[in-house]
Amino acid sequence: MWADRFGLPPEVLSGLAFLRRGRMIWAFSGQPPDLPCETVGLRIMSLRESPWKPTTNALQLWGRQATRNAIHLEEEETRRYVAGETQELKAEVEDGYVVVLYQGEVLGCGLYARGRLISQLPKERRMDEGGQEECGCDMG
Amino acid sequence: MAAQVVGMQHLERYRDMIPDFDEFLQILATPLPLTVRVNLLKTTANRLKEHLDRAGIGYSELRWYPYGLRLEMDRPGRMLEHLMGHIYPQEEMSMVPVAVLSPRPGESVLDICAAPGSKTTQISMHMENRGLAVANEPSAARIVPLRANCERMGALNVAVTKFDGRHFPRYQFDRVLVDAPCSSQGMARKDLKVLDRYSVKRSLDLHRLQVEILHRAISLVRPGGVVVYSTCTYAPEENEAVVARVLDRARLEDVALSGLSGSPGLEEWEGTDYGGELKRCARYYPHQNNTGGFFVAKLIKT
Repeated sequence: MWADRFGLPPEVLSGLAFLRRGRMIWAFSGQPPDLPCETVGLRIMSLRESPWKPTTNALQLWGRQATRNAIHLEEEETRRYVAGETQELKAEVEDGYVVVLYQGEVLGCGLYARGRLISQLPKERRMDEGGQEECGCDMG
Repeated sequence: MAAQVVGMQHLERYRDMIPDFDEFLQILATPLPLTVRVNLLKTTANRLKEHLDRAGIGYSELRWYPYGLRLEMDRPGRMLEHLMGHIYPQEEMSMVPVAVLSPRPGESVLDICAAPGSKTTQISMHMENRGLAVANEPSAARIVPLRANCERMGALNVAVTKFDGRHFPRYQFDRVLVDAPCSSQGMARKDLKVLDRYSVKRSLDLHRLQVEILHRAISLVRPGGVVVYSTCTYAPEENEAVVARVLDRARLEDVALSGLSGSPGLEEWEGTDYGGELKRCARYYPHQNNTGGFFVAKLIKT
């Protein structure tokens, strides 16, 4: 999917191990350790939907190298995308999941269908006018 | 206010230990500067600075660490750079232990007290997403933010485990970080209440736990491997007194970060002799660098 849909160069994924757990695909840097683990690596794809859906975190990691099905937003469009909204938008992409960028940086995943871009940003990552929830930071 | 005075009294025992003690007390009433770590797994320092310039957000670099920035703003959680995982809000001193640990790409590294993941994701970044970084956290509730932070930062080389650090199963790592549970007095600029909760008994209880975790960490590292022990507290019972207990199995190396002012570890405290090697540890006080407070020791397994 990463090469077909987004045109990512194959070396981006080379050397990674892919593990299926439930209906998610995880990517890990190498051989998983011989230890009982809660999780190993990064969730990159959900098999819950059809077609398979790339995760926000994986697109943020690799999406700058996409050569296809990427949409570059302007400022106001970005505001609407990060608020989780759906917007009318003309774009040279195929219907389906797309990489969404602003100022050359990846915001996340969008679903493009019939001239509309539907934000796929997870609820806990969204930013609206009112204010963003506390960040997952720590000071310690 | 009365409660804060009570809390401050717990610091009086350090009057002779902390240089320029009155300056130290004064800075505790002032807020911490906002610092973030640049996440090189997703961006570069130059790209981030370009975006900050474009957004009109002022910043300055840290003198001792190329991947940290002080930002002139107060809500980093509202920045697109946070949403995109390009920055991790992290107190400046909290970046020190991993800089001392200095993990390299391809190694195997354990962060034995990992939540919420600021140091795990920093380890992963230093390893350029290669090799193995194990993030251990015994509490199920604290694993949730740990996992979320590792994923937000794009860590591909992190495995999360859930063991009591004292009983982490047999394995051999190149490096282990013990950022130990502690009485957190060094966090007072973030929340003065940490001082109210303090008691010497609490330090002594934590001491036992810290010694057991540090002993386990030394068992888990290969001979010649590095164990970094850190806390964000001033209590010698939780710092030098813990490190002194493992010096039959490991030797100390100097903690020296150029550009950062600190004090040497204590060789003795209130009549207890910890030994001359302990001066190789580093104590960082808030008024020395306008930060929080931290203790760091670098151990090499013998």
